[in-house]
Amino acid sequence: MCKSHFNPIHCIIPPYMLTRLMESGNKKIADLAIKSNFRSFRFRNDRIFFQKASQHEKDILGLIDKQPGKEIMQMEVYDCRQKTDLIGATLLWDSKNNQKITSVAGKKVIKGGKASWDFYWQLFSRNSIDNKGLLIKQYVHFDKGMDNAYWDGRRMVYGDGDGLVFTSFTSDIDVIGHELTHGVTENEANLDYENQAGALNESFSDIFGIMIKQRYNNQDVKKSNWLIGEKVMIGPKYALRSLKAPGTAYINHPELGTDPQPATMDKYQNLTNTQSGDFGGVHINSGIPNFAFYVAAFNMGGYSWEKAGRIWYAVLTDVSLAQNAKFADVKNLTIVHAGRIFGINSPEVTAVRQGWLEAKV
Amino acid sequence: MKIKLIRTGGFIPITKSAETEVNLSEQELANLLVTIKHDPAAPRIKDGNYYELTVGSDSTPVDLEKVPDEFKNLFSRLKSDLRIIK
Repeated sequence: MCKSHFNPIHCIIPPYMLTRLMESGNKKIADLAIKSNFRSFRFRNDRIFFQKASQHEKDILGLIDKQPGKEIMQMEVYDCRQKTDLIGATLLWDSKNNQKITSVAGKKVIKGGKASWDFYWQLFSRNSIDNKGLLIKQYVHFDKGMDNAYWDGRRMVYGDGDGLVFTSFTSDIDVIGHELTHGVTENEANLDYENQAGALNESFSDIFGIMIKQRYNNQDVKKSNWLIGEKVMIGPKYALRSLKAPGTAYINHPELGTDPQPATMDKYQNLTNTQSGDFGGVHINSGIPNFAFYVAAFNMGGYSWEKAGRIWYAVLTDVSLAQNAKFADVKNLTIVHAGRIFGINSPEVTAVRQGWLEAKV
Repeated sequence: MKIKLIRTGGFIPITKSAETEVNLSEQELANLLVTIKHDPAAPRIKDGNYYELTVGSDSTPVDLEKVPDEFKNLFSRLKSDLRIIK
C-alpha cells in the first residue's frame, strides 16, 4: 500500500477504479482522478519510449540510464596469500574506506565487481546479488596456482592460474561478471546445478558476463568477439568459451585439445550427473543456450544489453522459471517476455525465435 | 601402495591427476577415506573443483578441506603435481 501520500488517488490504483473515480459526483475526487489518469498515460508512454530508445537516441536526447539513488555498492576484497583458508584471508580493500592498493588482482576484481554491480543497478535497478544490497566479497590469490574461479554460495574466489595454460582468473571482467551472476541466479530461479537446468545456470552466467564486458568496453553486438576469458587463457588464439561459435574457443590446444561445447541441440552431450561428468555437462551443453542468445542479440543489433539482455533478465527473474527448467522452458519464456516488452509481432520476438531455431531447440 | 588424486570440474571442465606411493596400512587408509569423504548432500559449488582419491580400482569423492594435519603435506604435494589428462 502506498504510504508516501495521503491522497489515495496518488497511489497505484487499478484502471477500473480510476474510471469510477473520474465519474464521481464529488468534483474534487473526479478532478484528481482525471489528473491522475493523465499523468499515468504520460508516464506509461514515456516509459515505453525510454524502454525502446536505442543508445544513439539516448545520446541525442541526453537521456541516461537509471542512476544510483541511495543504494551504493558494498564490496570487500581479500587476499588469500596462496592459501586455501578463506577465514584467515587479509582484507585488501573495502568500498567504505576505498584504500589504495597495489595488488593487480585486487584492482581487477574491484573493477570487475563495480562493472557488474553498475550493470545490474543501472539497467535493472537490481541492488547487488540479492537485490537487497548484499556485500560483495571477493577473494584473490586463492591456493597455489589454482586455475579456476568459483562462486561458493556467499563469495567469489579466484586463483592465480598455473602460469602455463592459464593466467590469473581475475584477468577478464566477463569471468568476474560470470561468477557474480551465479549469485544472482541463486537468488532468483536458483536453477539446479545439473543437466539442462545446470547448463542454463552456466549459460545465464556466460550471457550476463559477456554483456557486462561489452557494456564496460562500449561494444555493440558487431564489435564484440563474444569470447569469455580471452585473457585468462594464455595464447592469443585461445579463450575459455565462445558464445558466437561454441566449440571454437580453443582448437587443438596442446594441453586441452579442442573446446567441447556444442552450439546446437542435436549435438547435446548426455553426460553422467556426477563430478566427473560435469553434473551432466553443465559447462558443456551451456553452449546451446549461449548460441541462441548470441543469434538473438546479433539479429536485434545495437548493444546486447538493451534488448536481448532485458528479455533474458526478465526470464531469469521470472518466478515461473522452475529450478529444474529445460532449454525449451527458457525458449518459451524468452519469446513470452520479448512479446510482452516489445510487442508480439516485433522484430525482437522474431530474433528470439530465430536464435532458438538456429540452436535447434 | 599407490594412490591417485583426480581433480575434475572448474570454469572449463578439465580432468587432472597425480599419483604417489604411500606407506599406509589398509586400516589407516580406510580411516583417512572416512575422514575426508565428500558429503554428497553438500551444496554444489558453482564452477568448483572436485576431487576423487583412487586406490586400485576404487574411487572415493573427497573433500580436501577435511584432510587431517598429518596428511596435509601429502595432499599439498599431490595437488601441486596435478597434470591435465589429455
